[in-house]
Amino acid sequence: MLFHKKYQTIIIACILLIISMIILSYSKEQPSEAGFFRKLVLEATAPMVNVIHSSIKGINSVWTQYLLLVGMEEENRRLKKENALLTNELLQYREGYLEAKRLQNLLKLKESLDHPTIAARVIAKDQANIIKTILIDKGTADGLRAGLPVMTERSILGRIIESSWNVSRVLLITDESSNIDAMLQESRTQGILQGAGSGLCSLKYIPKTETLKAGEVVISSDLSGVFPKGLFIGVVTSADKGDSSLFQKVQVMPYIDLTKLEEVLVLLIDKDIKK
Amino acid sequence: MILYLFLPLFLLLLIILQNTVSEILFFGVVGMEISLILVIYVGFRLDVFKGGMISFLLGFFLDCFTGSFSGFYALIYVCVFLVSMSASLRITLEKAPLIMLFTLMCALLEGIMITILYPLIYNIDIISIPALTAYLPQTLIVVLVSPVFFQIFRRIEALLENVANAKQLKRI
Repeated sequence: MLFHKKYQTIIIACILLIISMIILSYSKEQPSEAGFFRKLVLEATAPMVNVIHSSIKGINSVWTQYLLLVGMEEENRRLKKENALLTNELLQYREGYLEAKRLQNLLKLKESLDHPTIAARVIAKDQANIIKTILIDKGTADGLRAGLPVMTERSILGRIIESSWNVSRVLLITDESSNIDAMLQESRTQGILQGAGSGLCSLKYIPKTETLKAGEVVISSDLSGVFPKGLFIGVVTSADKGDSSLFQKVQVMPYIDLTKLEEVLVLLIDKDIKK
Repeated sequence: MILYLFLPLFLLLLIILQNTVSEILFFGVVGMEISLILVIYVGFRLDVFKGGMISFLLGFFLDCFTGSFSGFYALIYVCVFLVSMSASLRITLEKAPLIMLFTLMCALLEGIMITILYPLIYNIDIISIPALTAYLPQTLIVVLVSPVFFQIFRRIEALLENVANAKQLKRI
């Protein structure tokens, strides 16, 4: 042993300190010149830093993307909810618009009619039954009573057969027990329009001498005083003269689609006038 | 032998990792000086030659990495190592509070050395207060994480010992 073991530690420590100080003072004197070992370390550092940085960057990017996806999922959920709300709102607006349009048409009709009218909303349809009726949300409290004619903006719908204070039942023209005075618009031939079920009507008592063609318009006549004259009812779809009968079998398709009723207009015809 | 050949590489990797991790965790504002904890650890566990070399290399690599004059951190780390080694003759660092306390002392020593050496080497009058205040959270972090890293270093040491023992047994 060059040195005694007792002093070995102190000597090595001193050597290390001296080397450090020499390197420090040397690099201070030559600041621009990087030593060989420093260059070596720098050379080795670059690829290691690259590898670590790219790995961490990769992990970081995956994490960021994950966070982004989580955020997007949340945003997607929020947007879906918002979309549902807006769609619902849009539907309500559209519904309101269509209702306004229908009411506008009813109002136009109301203005064109000589009689006072009252608008009502259809609250129930009972057309699957043998008796084809609908319920409307107006009754005796609003001045309605049995026998009053009910219309839509396009044509005759039927007549009230019973009324409570706030609800009335309307017998549709397609019901087999419904009979109303009608006439052909062109020939002015009068007849009785009877319901034939399944959304159709038949025009009775049209003589065989009449030549009818499909598409001819049927309107109301005021013979019985129930319906005002000249209101549209429907169009002739077929006419069968037959052999033995005196009259033709005329099938009429009502103007209105009875399955799509929402608002109706009740004509307030004076009882005394009717009589 | 292979271990000693690869040791500088591992130490360099540690320096790079500690800087990268600090950059990610603390956005480069505060550093996490794991190398200082390692220097303290080797001061308690290794002899003067091995520990001194590791401390010197760590300091030198830190100099290269941080861009300070070569030997600046090398000198500081060697000093810290020698202080730790001297302390190891009197105390054993087993409990976390003691590890933290000793790490705090060493971090303060490092801080004092930087405060003294830096103006001397870089020809400036005094280190600015913001630079010193930035050093305080760094010290705090090192103190807080020191018991964890002491545990990790112990595990690594045990693993290396097992590998060495297994090799010796193979030879026999």
